[in-house]
Amino acid sequence: MPENTMVESTRENIVTRLFKALRLPLNDPFAVFGLAVYAVFLLTAVFADQIAPYDPTEILYTPDYDLAADLRPGEQGHVLGTTSLGRDVFSQIVHGTRSALLIGVTAAFMVALIGSIVGLVSGYFGGWVDAVLMRLADIAFGIPFLPFVIVLAAFLEPSIWNVVLAMALVLWRDTGRVIRSQVLTLRSRGYVDAARVSGSSDFKIILRHIAPNILPLSFLYGSIAIGWAILTEASISFLGFGDPSSISWGYMLQDAFASQALAKQSYYWFVPPGLCIILVVSAGFFITRGYENILFPKLGR
Amino acid sequence: MTETLLSVRDLKVSYKVGRGTLDAVDGASFDVPRGSIVGLVGESGCGKTTVARALTRVIADNATISGGQLLFEGRDLAAISEREMNAMRWRDIAFIPQSAMNSLDPVYTVEYQLNEVLRKRGGLGRAQARKRCEELFEMVGIETNRLGDFPHQFSGGMRQRVAIALALALNPKLVIADEPVTALDVIVQRQILDQLRELQQQLGISVILVTHDISVVAYICDRTVVMYAGRVAEQGTMEATLTQPSHPYTMGLRNAFPDLQGAASGMLTPINGAPPNLALPPPGCRFAPRCPFAIDKCTTVSPETLEVAAGHGAACHRADEASKLRKLATRTETWMTTEMAEA
Amino acid sequence: MSHLKAAASRTLQLAFVLWAVVTMLFLMFRLMPGNPLAAYIDPTFTEEQQQALMAQFGLNEPLWKQYLIYLGNLLQGELGQSFRYREPVAERIMTLLPNTLILTFSSLIIAYAFGIIAGAWLAWRRGALVEKTAIPLVLTTRAMPEFWLGMVLLAIFSFWLGWFPAGGTRPAGANYDSLFALYTSSDFLTYLALPALTLAIYSQGLPLLLMRSNMLDVMKEDFVTMARIKGLSNWTVVVRHAARNALLPVMTSFAIAVGYQLQGNVVVETVFSWPGLGRELVNAVSNSDYPLAQGAFLMIAVVVILMNLIADLLYALLDPRVSHA
Repeated sequence: MPENTMVESTRENIVTRLFKALRLPLNDPFAVFGLAVYAVFLLTAVFADQIAPYDPTEILYTPDYDLAADLRPGEQGHVLGTTSLGRDVFSQIVHGTRSALLIGVTAAFMVALIGSIVGLVSGYFGGWVDAVLMRLADIAFGIPFLPFVIVLAAFLEPSIWNVVLAMALVLWRDTGRVIRSQVLTLRSRGYVDAARVSGSSDFKIILRHIAPNILPLSFLYGSIAIGWAILTEASISFLGFGDPSSISWGYMLQDAFASQALAKQSYYWFVPPGLCIILVVSAGFFITRGYENILFPKLGR
Repeated sequence: MTETLLSVRDLKVSYKVGRGTLDAVDGASFDVPRGSIVGLVGESGCGKTTVARALTRVIADNATISGGQLLFEGRDLAAISEREMNAMRWRDIAFIPQSAMNSLDPVYTVEYQLNEVLRKRGGLGRAQARKRCEELFEMVGIETNRLGDFPHQFSGGMRQRVAIALALALNPKLVIADEPVTALDVIVQRQILDQLRELQQQLGISVILVTHDISVVAYICDRTVVMYAGRVAEQGTMEATLTQPSHPYTMGLRNAFPDLQGAASGMLTPINGAPPNLALPPPGCRFAPRCPFAIDKCTTVSPETLEVAAGHGAACHRADEASKLRKLATRTETWMTTEMAEA
Repeated sequence: MSHLKAAASRTLQLAFVLWAVVTMLFLMFRLMPGNPLAAYIDPTFTEEQQQALMAQFGLNEPLWKQYLIYLGNLLQGELGQSFRYREPVAERIMTLLPNTLILTFSSLIIAYAFGIIAGAWLAWRRGALVEKTAIPLVLTTRAMPEFWLGMVLLAIFSFWLGWFPAGGTRPAGANYDSLFALYTSSDFLTYLALPALTLAIYSQGLPLLLMRSNMLDVMKEDFVTMARIKGLSNWTVVVRHAARNALLPVMTSFAIAVGYQLQGNVVVETVFSWPGLGRELVNAVSNSDYPLAQGAFLMIAVVVILMNLIADLLYALLDPRVSHA
């Protein structure tokens, strides 16, 4: 019994410590707003099937067996109307949260993970490892990102994972550089050398002393990457290189544009998905800004 | 006595800090006679720089001159409009900053920055300004072909000379020098101070020299104003205040600095403890907690300035016993005991 | 001398990056699934054309030889034949490049002019209500998909109000004596207005935020305080000293922004049917016109890398601490 409680308490300790290590910016109203937006979208994504009245890809018909296409918002119970193919716009919006969050979170995770590892290894070991990794970062900075994703789409099957792959291949560069310089500052403080003299292995030093200190930075760059991923996915889908079988906001915008939404003045086709993108992405920016104020308080802005 | 150029009366400067206020300068009074160099000396945070900046009325956003008068040729600088004040800036009152590196704009040449004050503030034409630039560089001993250089191309001492040239550009009546030589090494310090002294005498201007270094005061000042915790502790002629200090703080300060001439003046004895928190100043004499000679009265009653000799005053309850205290103050043990007593 | 050396080493470094990107592109197109010849030869080309291209790109040689031929061809500006247009890729790209550059630079100049002034002003009004509301608003403009903004502007100004044309660079059937005549015609400006505005609205956030934060830093500098003590006018203090110093990094960011803008161009050119590099890249990829896709990507990459170099050199040029070391 006592052993059990001990395990329990250390586990809780790790969770609270991790939570504290993330240092969520709860004192900045805009950041809190951003976190609230994330929470709402997360819930929507989880309960999309319950919230959405229709299957987003289902082609609907009116009771008199006509195609339920081009219905204006409110007509026949479709809150946001229907598309030119007769699909329910509101249901598409609701299901769009899934691909947005899926792509945002995985891409952010990849970017933060790769960037952190590169930065850690580069900054900690220095020497030729550092030289090679930083030249790789230079190359990544020379690659125009969106065109790269498009060219990638030429070779790979259309899929939202192309965006994640491209981000993992290219966008770790900023995170990597920042983490590297942070590691260099950490190294210049005595305790790493102290730990080494006392016989700790490199792996242990990185894990114990350096990684916890760069966690907030990784999180910061991860949260920037969420926005980038969602915007990139939207662009790629809009250009027609997305996955046509999964509904995303970018796909909706492409569908709207291709269906002459502008000429038909069908604003309800492209305004709602656009606003959703802006809301989620700017929420990410607000959280990021709150983070920066915590991490770099001297900026004081 | 010579005519008084500037008379500071009961000056009070308050900072807004959080929800409260803090009086960085709390009732400072002193005079600057025409054609003299007055040393404003004290530890960092004593309010000397705040006094200097208050004279230009360019102070921090959260600071205000909350009381007293700044009588410059009889005009109260604290009471005139911002417009009138701005007209006087640099023409009547110029400023030599501590670090000329940071106070010269890095993206303009030195000539541009001289021209800026000469033409915009002095109303000189292009040709006149050019002539004046050369004149000023000759005055401070820099070759005129370096006028077109950028600030970072000069050495530290040279930059300080540029700052002096800049300050003298419009023939001001008063120059405020805020720690003008602190960032320099001792040899360059002497050169700059010699130059400042020479130009001051040649042009007949007055200088307020703000410094924490009492040896600088001893080197070039005519008068001394010793500040402690926002108040004037002692003031008088340089000789009187330094050879016959009448405030225990001045006595301690004298022990704590080496001589600028390089002569060994025996052991340096620091004054133990730190200046008080100005948000919560101690009642009575502000130096009392660190003073080896403090008596009961010192911790309750704030001392008035006592005139120990003509033109020499000290804000100390025991100023009349000064000669006895001076002897004690030369002993290192005297200053050790406060530490013991405090510990 | 030392800054000349620094510039030379930076140039070498970016030359290396360019080489790496070129090599990456070579490998990507060679390793792509299916017939490796597909990267250069369209099955509908005539036998002679196919043979000529085989010889020109050494397509029946071993890979390393192909690579050398590829590099040699690139150095001569030889990018192969477009499948779709049946003309050299290089020619096609050179006719599109001016359109893209005009769109990029006109939008960025608007964005920077606005961003610099607004950023300086917001720094000046620090803590005021406008500042507190403006900053989140600016962040929100950064969160917009550019093509969506383009669609909204099109919906309002073109389809609803009818003030501007919906896309392209010239009225149908209009002909001009030269490109210069086209670019200086008033028609062209009405076609340029909406795409340029779209990109400008998206881009102004970077110079604005950068200018503002630099201003806030510079305003704390001693030389700004000294300028006040000198009794200089507010305008002189804020513009000549604070803004002039804050401007340095903003100006360098312009070159970087050109690189970023080229990415945004890809979608905005598509929305406005603007015949530029980005739209061509999209079309080429959609139509499996590999030589053209490769060429367009390469051109964009060259501009991005070149702009990185210009940013560095510009900084050295504008900052006397570097240029007069």
